[in-house]
Parts: sequence; C-alpha cells; structure tokens
Amino acid sequence: MSIRKIVTLTEDVLIEGGREVTPAARVAVVAAIVKNPWAGQGFVEDLSAGIDGNASDIGALLAPRVLEALGAPAEAYGKAAIVGLNGEIEHGSGLIHTLAFGNHFRDAANATTLLPAVEKRGPAGVVFDIPLKHITDATIRSHHQSIEVRINDAPHADEIVIALAAAAQGRPQQRLAAFATETK
Amino acid sequence: MNDQGLGIRKIVYYSEEILLENGLSPAVPAIRATAAAVVTNPWLDGKATDDLNEEVIQLAPVLARKLTDVLTKELGGVDAIQAFGKAAIVGTAGEIEHGAALIHTPFFGNLVREYFDGESIICFADDRADAGASLVVPLWHKNAAATRTHYQTITTRISDAPRPGEIVVALGASTGPRPHSRIGDRLTDPIVKADTLGDLIS
Repeated sequence: MSIRKIVTLTEDVLIEGGREVTPAARVAVVAAIVKNPWAGQGFVEDLSAGIDGNASDIGALLAPRVLEALGAPAEAYGKAAIVGLNGEIEHGSGLIHTLAFGNHFRDAANATTLLPAVEKRGPAGVVFDIPLKHITDATIRSHHQSIEVRINDAPHADEIVIALAAAAQGRPQQRLAAFATETK
Repeated sequence: MNDQGLGIRKIVYYSEEILLENGLSPAVPAIRATAAAVVTNPWLDGKATDDLNEEVIQLAPVLARKLTDVLTKELGGVDAIQAFGKAAIVGTAGEIEHGAALIHTPFFGNLVREYFDGESIICFADDRADAGASLVVPLWHKNAAATRTHYQTITTRISDAPRPGEIVVALGASTGPRPHSRIGDRLTDPIVKADTLGDLIS
C-alpha cells in the first residue's frame, strides 16, 4: 500500500438556523491518498489481488484515526472513494465495498449497518460529499447527513482518495418526524 | 459571553500529513494544518469611515485563543509548532478592511505569538469571496521568518462559508519544513545580481 498523504477534517457547528447548537455538533473525516493499485495495467478483469492487498490495510489505518478525530462515540458514519482521472470508478468501489475494508470501522464504532458511500472520478481538487447514516439503524432519519470535502492536490490521475466520515450526533436542529410515523 | 453569543457559527480544522513526496518519505516529517472560525461580520451596514476598534477588542482575542487552542491540541503542543500564518476571507457584504481588522492588530497577532511562543511577524493572506472559496495560507518560521526551509502553504476552505454577512478567520501552522527542502538559505546563497548572470539575461 502506497500512501502519499493523510488528511483530517473536523467541522464543529455552533449555530444553525440562527440558534445555538449546544454542545457543538461535530463531524470528522480522515482520508488517505493512495496509489491506484491497478494504475498502468489497462483493463484488469480480476481485481481481487489488488483488493486483498490493500482494502483491509486502508480500513485499519483510517478507522481509528477518524474516531480519534471525532473525539466522541460515533452515531453516524459513511465512506468515500474518489478515483483519479486515469482510473476506473470500479477501482475505488473495489477498495471500499468489501467487508475487509468496512469491518474495521464497524468494529471500532460498535456499528452494524452498511456504510453509505460516494464513489466518483475527478481531478485533483474535486469536491465530494460523503453521506452518513446511523451506525445501527439506517432508518433513523435524524442522522441522515453529509459532509463536503476537498483536497486541493488530490487525487492525482493515478491515485485514489479513500475516506471515512463519522458524526457524533444527528443533524444540528434536526426536527423531522421519525420514519416509523409515516409507515404505520 | 459564549462563543455563539459572539457570532461564531462554525469551527473547522483541516490537516495534511505527507508520507510521500515525489515517491520518497520526507526526512523531517511535518503536519500542516489550519483552524478556521466562521463569525458574523460585526460591521455590516457600517460606513467606510467607521472606527472598527471596539469590535476588534471584543472578538479578535477570542478568535486568537480559540484557534491557537485547536492547533496546539491537534498538533501535539506549542513546542511542536514551528511555522505559522493567518488568513481572513470576508463575505461579499463586507469590506476587506473588516477581515484585516480581525487579523492585523495586536488583539489577534500578539496573542497568537504569545500562545504559540513565537516572535516572527505573522505572514498572511486575505480575500473577499463567496462561500466555498479556497484560500492559500502562507506559513513561515515562528521565530526566524527568513528560514527558507519553512516557507510553505496550506489551503483552507469551508464549504458553506463565508456567507455574505460572515468572515472566515483562519490560523495555519506546521510542525516542520517542506518535504525535501533543498534550495539552500541566506547563508549559502551566492551573490546574485543582474550583471553577475552575464549572457543569461542580457
């Protein structure tokens, strides 16, 4: 696994809708900029070797870091794979849509649900939004949220940005009716 | 008054740790980071001749304290911080001078130096822009500004700030030099003048 850079982002919201948010609502992101394991190989039919050689290691690196950046138990989470212009979106999907990647985060966060994800291809500096949902019940509407990320010099054309996001709470000022009230 | 009462809407921390640059690990690793606060512009609807001092005294010291606290905690203590810089992005309803007021007086800069245990003038960038604008924050050594190894930058950006009536105030810091810094310094430089370069530029 070749990692060029690790990026950490935290956002604390203190005011939303003109009203105080107390305590401040925090969302954290940690991203690793990795070399695309399939760069320069043309169309690779079987991606399993590159997945087996990288996905678990990247998940193990990012999971404790994003929880440390959050500094509180995670209540919602999500993930991202942003592929540089020379790669396939399938390359990013290969690295993040495996249990070998996601279980590191699920186990560290005591989570059970699937991680919502964004997969996208773009140039260095591309803006992407990571969706987050509740860690044990993806129907908990208060916790549906997203965080926007941009890394000015990544991904290079032969790189992939792999990121995890965690939130310590639902949306600030969340006040929508629960999902269950509409399905009775 | 609490942070919200002062109009602080958001605090954002961003850091980059470089493990490889041009394929090689830096001999001296460094983390570059920014801490940024989104605040309501206290001078909206004011005139271009208004005195700004009263609000500066109320707000700038709090921002200096808050942003240095974030960077000190995240970067592993004051002694770990070797380089610093500052920045302001004024929303489109404000004056550039409003951003300058928050970062260019002793009520911000002196406190940043005191909290970071630094002596240098603090290098800076400022701009007026829409929400989501990127701004490159210059950094240099906190005690020896001419130290060339520590000339570096970090880009700060907040997706939804500044709104037209807000100001983003950011502080940048680095725990080390540029990766692979190798362009000499003032002690090793040759004397360079136009006439010593001869045919190259004649």
